[in-house]
Amino acid sequence: MRQLWARLISLTRSALRGLSSSPVASGVAVVTIAISLVLVGAFALLASNMRSLLDDFGDALVVAAYLGENVPASEYPALADLARSVEGVESVQVISPEQALERFRVGVGRGAALLEGLSENPLPASLEITLLPEHQSAAGLGVVVESLEGLPGIDDLGSGQQWVEGYLRALALVRGLGIGLGAILGFAALLIVSNTIRLAMLSRRDELELLALVGASRSFVGAPLLLEGALCGAAGSALALALLFLLFQLVVPGFEFGLELLLGGLSPHFFAPSECLALMAAGVAVGVVGSLFALASERFA
Amino acid sequence: MHDAVRATVGLFHVSKSYAAGHFALRDVCLEFQRGEFALLSGPSGAGKTTLLKLIFAAERASEGQILVLGRNASRLGAAAIPSLRRRIGVVFQDFKLMPRRTVEENVALALEVVGTPRREVRARVFAILKQLGLQDRRFHHPLSLSGGEQQRVAIARALVNEPEILLADEPTGNLDEELSLEIMDLIAAAAKRGTTVIVATHDSAILERYGGRHVRLEHGRVVSEHSTPAGREGE
Repeated sequence: MRQLWARLISLTRSALRGLSSSPVASGVAVVTIAISLVLVGAFALLASNMRSLLDDFGDALVVAAYLGENVPASEYPALADLARSVEGVESVQVISPEQALERFRVGVGRGAALLEGLSENPLPASLEITLLPEHQSAAGLGVVVESLEGLPGIDDLGSGQQWVEGYLRALALVRGLGIGLGAILGFAALLIVSNTIRLAMLSRRDELELLALVGASRSFVGAPLLLEGALCGAAGSALALALLFLLFQLVVPGFEFGLELLLGGLSPHFFAPSECLALMAAGVAVGVVGSLFALASERFA
Repeated sequence: MHDAVRATVGLFHVSKSYAAGHFALRDVCLEFQRGEFALLSGPSGAGKTTLLKLIFAAERASEGQILVLGRNASRLGAAAIPSLRRRIGVVFQDFKLMPRRTVEENVALALEVVGTPRREVRARVFAILKQLGLQDRRFHHPLSLSGGEQQRVAIARALVNEPEILLADEPTGNLDEELSLEIMDLIAAAAKRGTTVIVATHDSAILERYGGRHVRLEHGRVVSEHSTPAGREGE
């Protein structure tokens, strides 16, 4: 065990010595990885937040049955009882036009200022219908909606199904863009890391040849170079995470209204620790693979 | 037992050409026994360095077979070369030291590549540096040392692993006469401990002073070979 630690320490020292011997090339590699991961990370962050909204929506899948304007308030409880009798319905809550307006005011946050100009409440009364857990799916929702459509006094039904489908398409687009951009930038970063390590190998050709002359195996010579790539990747991804966090802190307050429209009442969140680790791992992987490319293409002694 | 089997190094009809029709070595047949001290002489371009490179598998023979420590160096795969080189110490005219590493680190290199425990590395490096009078220089960097001291560091690195073969390519080429003799004494002493020592040199002073086997190469061929009684070495 002690031997392994000694070898690890020696490897790390050797890798750090290698990186410091060509600081400009190493810096370029770190910054390239960081830029790639910032762009990919920004898309991932947006996708993660959008996904949270969907999860949140799924947790409380409800159907809004909007009542006609001519339905008097005294009939609301009877209509609610009728809706409760539909198979698949768990509970029904009556939302008056005033309650609906208040909810909307809270929901849009700062955008509520727009409501100041309204002379009368344009929102209808509605029944907020919660489904039983076994009906909380697209098919179950469809069955309940079909039954509710036949009830008297209901003007329109809003299940959010179309919205969810559209939102999923937008989410897929964001993810696709992130993956596509990630693939292109990741490959560019890979090539730059590979060239950085190749430059490092060329600048230390005498040293590498000497190691080979004294009987160092290819893995003994290659391990510090792989570690150099991994360290570049780790530094790049740490820098990317720091930049993303900074951007998150600076940019989010400025786009609060837009984000509220996109994410509803959810407050935007930064990456979870596991997601931060995944981003770090991606950076390290880019560094290691770049180093492997360099090692495969260079021969010594 | 046949000599070819006992020999530490055996070259059998070895030729090496770098370009078509231009031979660096041509049909060389030589054997070196355990503990033998041999001097390879000849003018520049005679093939001395090529012969040494073939022995430590830095080059591959174009024709013929080379047996080194029981292994056919002319057919060794890339993965097997390191294990052969760990049994061979090599000293070069230009020292080939790592300028950014200390004397101690340079010498330790030969032990680190074989995974010697750190404590043992320190002890053995100190012992060999003390033997070569460099113990007070162990934390210095090579460029702060004199030429003679740098070559002694290179010899320490070559010997620290207690190699079975020591190859030296013009080890005194950059040194004055007095230092040359000092360095040659250290190299020759290794043969007395059982190491096969092969030194390439065109320094006539060394050839006159040191006994043992003298092999002369010209245009890639062995043109003369003779043994002389032990001379200055060991004095």
